[in-house]
Amino acid sequence: MSKPDTRTKFFEVVTNWPKTILVLSVLIIISLGSFVPRLHKDTSSDAFIAPDDPVVLYRDHVREIFGLEDPIVIAVINDGPEGIFNPDTLALVDTLTQSIAGLANVDPDRVTSLATESNIVGTDEGMEVSDFFDPYPATQARADEVRAAVADFPLYQGALVARDGSATLVVAELLNQDAAQDTYEEILAVVAATPTTAGNEIHVAGEGAISGYLATYIDRDATRLNPLAAVVITFVLIIAFRTFAGAMLPNIIVLGTLAATFGSMAAFGVSFYVITNGLATILIGIAVADSIHIMSQVYEEQARDPVLVSSRQGRREIAIRAMARMWKPITLTTITTIAGFVGLWLGAAMPPMKFFGLFAAVGVAAAWVYSIFFLPAALTLFPIKASRLFRGANINDRYGAALRRLGEIALRKPGVTLAIAAFIALAGVAGTSRVIVQEAQIENFQTDEPIYIADKEINRRMDGTKFLDIVVETDEIEALFRPDHLRRIEALQAYVEQFPAVRGSTSVVDYIKQMHKAVNENQDEFYSIPEDEFLVAQLFLLYSASGNPDDFEEEIDTDYSQANVRFNLNVADYRLLTEIIPAIQNYVDTEFNTDEIRANLSGRVAVNYAWLKTIGDNHIRSLLLALVFVWLAAAAIFRSILAGTLSLIPVGMALLLVYAVMGFGGIWLGVGTSMFAAIAIGLGIDFSIHTLDRMKELLATRTGSFDERVADLFPSTGRALFFNFAALALGFLVLTSSEVPPLIRFGMLVAVAVSTSFAASMTILPAIGKILRPAFLFPRDTVSASTPSTVASAGSVAALLVIISMLFMSFAKADIADLLSGDEVIDRVNARDDGEQVSRALKMELVDRRGKSRIRETVGYRRYYGAEKRTVLFYVSPTNVKGTAFLTYDYPDAQTDDDQWLYLPALRKVRRISAADRGDYFLGTDLSYEDIKKESRISREDYVFSTINTEEIDGHLTYVVEGIPVDDATAEELGYSRVLWRIDPNMWMSRLTEMWDINGNRLKTVRNNDFEKIQGIWTALRLTTVNHKSGHSTIFTFSDVDYRTPVDDSMFEQRTLRRGP
Amino acid sequence: MPKPHLAILILSAIVAPQSAAGFFEKVEFSGIFESELAAGIVSGNARKAEFTLIPELVVNFGRISDITVIARLRSELADKLEPGKTIDIELREAFVDTEIGAAYLRAGKQQVVWGQADGLKVLDVLNPQSFREFILDDFDDSRIPLWMLNAEIPLGGTLLQLLWIPDNTYDDIPPADGTFAFSSPRIIPRLPAGLPVEVAPIDRPDRTIKDSDVGAKLSAFVGGWDLSLNYAYHYFDRPVVRRTISPTGITLRRNYERTHIVGGSLSNVFGDFTVRGEAAYSSDRFFLTDRLEDADGVIRAGEFSYVLGLDYLGWRDWFVSAQIFQSVLTETRPGLVRDRIDTSATLLIRRDFLNESLQAEALLIQNVNQGDGVLQAAIQYEWRSNLQLKIGADVFFGKSTGLFGQFNDRDRVSIGFELGF
Repeated sequence: MSKPDTRTKFFEVVTNWPKTILVLSVLIIISLGSFVPRLHKDTSSDAFIAPDDPVVLYRDHVREIFGLEDPIVIAVINDGPEGIFNPDTLALVDTLTQSIAGLANVDPDRVTSLATESNIVGTDEGMEVSDFFDPYPATQARADEVRAAVADFPLYQGALVARDGSATLVVAELLNQDAAQDTYEEILAVVAATPTTAGNEIHVAGEGAISGYLATYIDRDATRLNPLAAVVITFVLIIAFRTFAGAMLPNIIVLGTLAATFGSMAAFGVSFYVITNGLATILIGIAVADSIHIMSQVYEEQARDPVLVSSRQGRREIAIRAMARMWKPITLTTITTIAGFVGLWLGAAMPPMKFFGLFAAVGVAAAWVYSIFFLPAALTLFPIKASRLFRGANINDRYGAALRRLGEIALRKPGVTLAIAAFIALAGVAGTSRVIVQEAQIENFQTDEPIYIADKEINRRMDGTKFLDIVVETDEIEALFRPDHLRRIEALQAYVEQFPAVRGSTSVVDYIKQMHKAVNENQDEFYSIPEDEFLVAQLFLLYSASGNPDDFEEEIDTDYSQANVRFNLNVADYRLLTEIIPAIQNYVDTEFNTDEIRANLSGRVAVNYAWLKTIGDNHIRSLLLALVFVWLAAAAIFRSILAGTLSLIPVGMALLLVYAVMGFGGIWLGVGTSMFAAIAIGLGIDFSIHTLDRMKELLATRTGSFDERVADLFPSTGRALFFNFAALALGFLVLTSSEVPPLIRFGMLVAVAVSTSFAASMTILPAIGKILRPAFLFPRDTVSASTPSTVASAGSVAALLVIISMLFMSFAKADIADLLSGDEVIDRVNARDDGEQVSRALKMELVDRRGKSRIRETVGYRRYYGAEKRTVLFYVSPTNVKGTAFLTYDYPDAQTDDDQWLYLPALRKVRRISAADRGDYFLGTDLSYEDIKKESRISREDYVFSTINTEEIDGHLTYVVEGIPVDDATAEELGYSRVLWRIDPNMWMSRLTEMWDINGNRLKTVRNNDFEKIQGIWTALRLTTVNHKSGHSTIFTFSDVDYRTPVDDSMFEQRTLRRGP
Repeated sequence: MPKPHLAILILSAIVAPQSAAGFFEKVEFSGIFESELAAGIVSGNARKAEFTLIPELVVNFGRISDITVIARLRSELADKLEPGKTIDIELREAFVDTEIGAAYLRAGKQQVVWGQADGLKVLDVLNPQSFREFILDDFDDSRIPLWMLNAEIPLGGTLLQLLWIPDNTYDDIPPADGTFAFSSPRIIPRLPAGLPVEVAPIDRPDRTIKDSDVGAKLSAFVGGWDLSLNYAYHYFDRPVVRRTISPTGITLRRNYERTHIVGGSLSNVFGDFTVRGEAAYSSDRFFLTDRLEDADGVIRAGEFSYVLGLDYLGWRDWFVSAQIFQSVLTETRPGLVRDRIDTSATLLIRRDFLNESLQAEALLIQNVNQGDGVLQAAIQYEWRSNLQLKIGADVFFGKSTGLFGQFNDRDRVSIGFELGF
C-alpha cells in the first residue's frame, strides 16, 4: 500500500462502528426480506408477453365474444376391434363428462364430449337435432348407431372422435384459466377415481393443462433445488477456508442479497416468473464470490501477522488492510457484472427476462454493499480464527499448488497456450453454426411424465389439441349469412389445412353444410354452402326449432357478424410456427381481407408465436448489449480499450464453447437457454477482471522476469478464483439434478461457461500478457488513476438504477368506460339511516394465509354531532392489547383531516396520530382506516360512480356500482384504483364489495352477511374481508348492537380513552 | 302515577337474582405471564433470566365505579440486576375509579403520565422510576406507581386535573454490584483519592402530609391543537449527593430536594406528520461539580428543558419518529460535570408486518454533547392472540463517562415471551 489514502480511511470509519453496521445490516435484511412474502408468483406463459401486446388484447377480446379458453382435454382410448364405440367405453365417457362438469373451475356449459353433443339429421319436416346419446347407447347395436352418426358428421371426426375410432375426447373449458394447474390435478383425481373396464385408457392433456401445470412443475422443482445450491456452495466455502466464519459470513451476505433482490421485486410489484427461479442460484453464486476474495485476503493477512488476530484492534487492522486491497477488484467486477445484466435487461423483449436482468443487477449491487460494509464490520467485531490452510505468505495447499503448476504450464510456452485456445475457439465457431432456435412447451416435461405421454398419445390419434383461432369480422349484422363470405371462410380453411401440422378445423361453415345436407335427405352432394343468403338464415331458424341456439356460440356471435374458425394442430413448436404463421398471415392479408370482411389470428398458438418469435432476437440483442456494456465498463476501469477487449476473451471463449455444446449436443436455443449468454458474460467477466487487476498489481510491485512477477497470481488470486468458480459451477450443476429438462440444460450450459471463463482467465490472459506486453498492465505513475472513473461508473450505474426503479413505479392504471351514472345509488346509500348513535361489541378475527387466527374483542361507540361523527373503540381482550383505545373525530368538510387519538396502555399516554393515510390498514385488520370510518357509507367526493349492471348476490338483486377514484392522488390515498359495490336496493347497503389496488390488481373482497333489522335499522352483523394479495382475512362479528341507548359525550373524550368505557 | 312504580318494583324483584349473577360477571380476572432472557453480545454470559407474573383484578360496579388491583411477582434467576434479590413481590396498582358529577376521580396507587415525549422525560416527573435495567425496561414496568388522589374535572371546554401525592417513594437506584450500577461522573461524584469516605444514611422526606407532592394540569383541545399547562411542586426523585471534605476524610450525604416545575405541552397533526412538544422549567435543581474548592460539590440552578418530536406516518406500515431534547441551566460554574446546554436526540423507526402480527422496531437515543447513546432493536411477533414472542438487542456506545457510554460493555441480546390470560 503506497499511500494510506481515502480507501483506508473509509474502512477505518466502517470498522469504527462495527456494532451499528451489524445491527443495521440485520435490520435491512429483515425489513427488505419482509417484502418477500408479498411477492406475487406469475408462472403463466402469458407472462412472457407484455399484457398490452395487441395479440393478447385481441385474444382476450375473442375470449369475450366466443368464450374460448385453452381447454383441458381428457382422451378415452380403446384399441379394441370396436374402438371406443362399445357400450362400456361410451358409458365411461358419459361418467367422466358428468364428474368433470361438476368440478368447481370447469364451466359446466362448456364440457364437450359425445355425451353432450348433438347430431343433425334430416327428417321429412326438415332437420332434427338430437343428442348422440339419446337413447343411451347401452347396447352394442346403439353404439354402432353412434358410430354411424359420427361417421356421417365430418365436423366431429378428428376433433371429437379419432378418425380411426380408437379415441374420443372430453373437452373441458375452465372458468378461471389461472387455476388451470389445480383443475388439472382435480381432473387427474377424478380419472383415478373412475373405474375403467379392460381395454380403456384415459389420458389428460391439452394446452390449458400444459401451460398451467408446466409452471407448477418447474416451480416445484426449483424450490427444491435452490436450497440445495446454497448447501453445495457452503460446502465449497468449508473446503476453501475450513473455518466457521469463512463458511458463515458469506452466507449472511447471500441472505442480504436475496432479501434485497426479492424484497425489491416485491416492493416494485414485479412478479416471480418461472425463470426467476434461476435468479436465486445465480445470486447465491455471485454473492459469495466477493466474500471469497475478501476472506482469502483476510486469511493471508492473518498468516502474515498472526499476532494481530487476538485483539479487536488487530482484527480491525487486518480487516482494513484486506478491504483496502480487495475493494477495487470486487467493485470492478460488480460494475462489469451489472453491465452484463443490464445488457440482458435492455436486450430482452420478454418481461420475465427483462426483470431477470434488472433484478440480477440489483442483487449484484446489494452483494457489493454487504461485502463492503457488513464484512469488514463483522471481521472487526468477531474473533475470526485463523485458517489452517493459510500459512506463510502464500497458500500452498493442493489447490494453490495445482494452480501454480497450471500457471507455469500456461506461461512456459505462451504461444502454444494461445494456439490451443484458438483451436478450441474454432471448434466453437463450427458448433455455433449448428445451434437451432426451437421451443415447444411440452418438451419441458420429462418424457415419462403422464402429461407428456398424454399429449403425444392424443395428438397422434386426434386432429390435435393446439388451437389456432382465426376470427372473421364483418361490419353488418347477419353479414355472415352471405354465401360469398361463407365461401371465403371455406377457402381460408382449405388453405390453412394444407399445412401438414394442421389436422382439422371447425367453423360455422361446417355446420351450415351439415344442416344443408340434413334438410336435403342427408344426400352427400348437398354438403355445401347454399347459394342463397335466405336459405342460410332459414337453416339456423330450423336448427333452433329442435336444437339449442347456443350450440353455435363458439363459432359465431349472436348477430351473425363475427365468426371464429378454430384449427387443430398436433404440434405447435417454434420452428413450425415461424413457418406457417407468417404464411397464413400473408394469405389473410392478400387473399382474404376485403373492405367488408376481415380476419385476425388469435388463440393460444398465435399468442405463443407472438412471444416465441422473439427468442432469437432476444438472445442476439441481449448478448450483444451485454458484450458492449461489459467491454465499455472494463475499458473504462482499466482506462484502456485493449484491456476491455482482453477481458472479453475468456468470456468469448466461454460463449463459443457453450454454442459448441449446444450445436453438437442438439440442445435448442429456447426460452430457458437463450438467457445463458448474458448471464455467462456477467459471471465470466469477473474472472478476467480479477486476473488482470492482480497481474497489474504484481507487475507493478514485484521484480524479476514476467513469469516471476506474476507467479503469485496463481496460488493467491487464482486460488480464490478457483473457489469462486467452484461455488458458481457447483451451484449451477445442482440444477442438473432437476426434473425439468430446460433447467438441467440451463444449469449445465452456465457451468460450462463459468468453467471456461475461469480456465481461460488463468491461462490465456497471462499468456497474452506475456506475449503482447500491453501498456495498461505495466506500471506507470497512474496506478490509482482508475479510481475516479470507477466511482463515476458506479455512480452512473446507481443513478440508472434509481431512474429505472422510478419508471417502474409509475405504471399507469387502466381506464374503464362509464356506462351509467351511479351517483343516485350512492346518494341513497349515504342517506340510509344508520342511527344517531350506536353502541356495540365487535369481535375481530384476523386470519393469516395459513389459517392461523388471532382474536380481538372490542366495544365501540359512535355518535353524530350534526354532520360530525365521533367514534371510539376500546379493546377488551386479549390481555396483551386490553386497554388500547382509538378515538376519531370525522369532520364533514372533506378538506379538514380527521382528528385521531390512540391510547396505548403500555405507554399510559394518549397519542395524537395523523389521519392523512386513509388507505392504511386499521390496526392489523384488512380494512383501511377509511373503510372503518365510513362503515356502510361511501365517500361521494372520492369517486366517479357508474352503475354498470345488476347482479344477484346471495339470492338478492343488487346494483353493481363501480367507483373510480377522481384522480391519481385520491387513488393513492385510498389505496384503490377501482371499487365495485353490489348495493341491495332493499337496504341500500353493499352485500359484496371488491377493491382493486392502484396497479389494477384485485386487492380485497368485502362480504357483508347476517343482515338483521335492529331497532328499525338494517345492520350487517358479519363482515368478511379477504385480502387477495396477502391471503390474510378479517372477520368482524358485531353483537349487542344498540341504536337507542344514548351514548354520553364523555365517551368521546381523551380522559375516557385512558380510563376505559 | 303509582302504576309504573309498581311495575318497576315487580320488575326489579324478577331481575334481582340476575343482577347478583351480573355482579359476579363483572369481576374480571386477567393477567400476563412474561419471561425475558438476556445475554451479553460479545461475552455470551447470561445478563438476565426473568419471569414475571402480573395478575390483574377488576371489579366493576357499572358506570359508577370500579376497583382495579394489579400485583407483580418477579423472579430474576440470573441474579445480575439486583444481586441477592431474586424474588420480588409488589402491589403495583390498586385504585378505585368513580365519578362525581362529570368529574372522574381515581384514588389509590397508580401511574400518571404527563407530557408528549417518548423515552425522555420533561414533564413526566410524577412517578419515580426504577433504574435496575437503566432505561432498557418498558416504562410501564419501570415506572413506580404512587399512592395518590387524581381528579379530572371538566371546566367548560377544558379539563382540570388535580393531583395530591402523599407518597414518599423515589427512584430505585441499582446496587453497586448490579449490572446497571451507575458509574458516570454525571451521577456519581468523583472524589479525590487517598481519603477515607464515609457515606451517611440517605435522608428521605418522611412527613406524609407536609412532604407530599401536588400537581395540576389544565388541558384543552383547541383548533386542532392538544394543549396542556402543567404545574407541580414535588421532590425530585433522585437524591442530591453532597460531599464535605475535611482533613480526616470525605463525608457523602444524600437528601431529596423540592422544586417547582411549570410547563406545558402541545401536539397537532399536519398531513402525515404529528408534531409533539413539551417544555418545563424547574426552579431548584442540583448538579455535581468537580471543583474541590466547592463547599458541597453541588451547584444549584434552575433548569429549562424541552423536547420537540416529529412523527411520520406517511408510508404504509411504517412509523418514524424523531425527537430533539435540550436541557438548559440558568447558570453555570467551572467544574460542573455537565454542559450548560445538554442536547439529546432520538430516532424511532418501526415497521409492522403481516397485519401487525410482526413488528420490528429500532430506537436510537443519542446524547449530542458526549457522543454516547444506545440503540435498541426489537422484533415482536404475535404468535397467538395472547402470546407474543420477542427478540431484541440493546447496544450502548460512546465514552464511559457518558450516561449511556457507562454501559458500553453491557450490550445484550434478549429473547422473551408474553402470555396473556
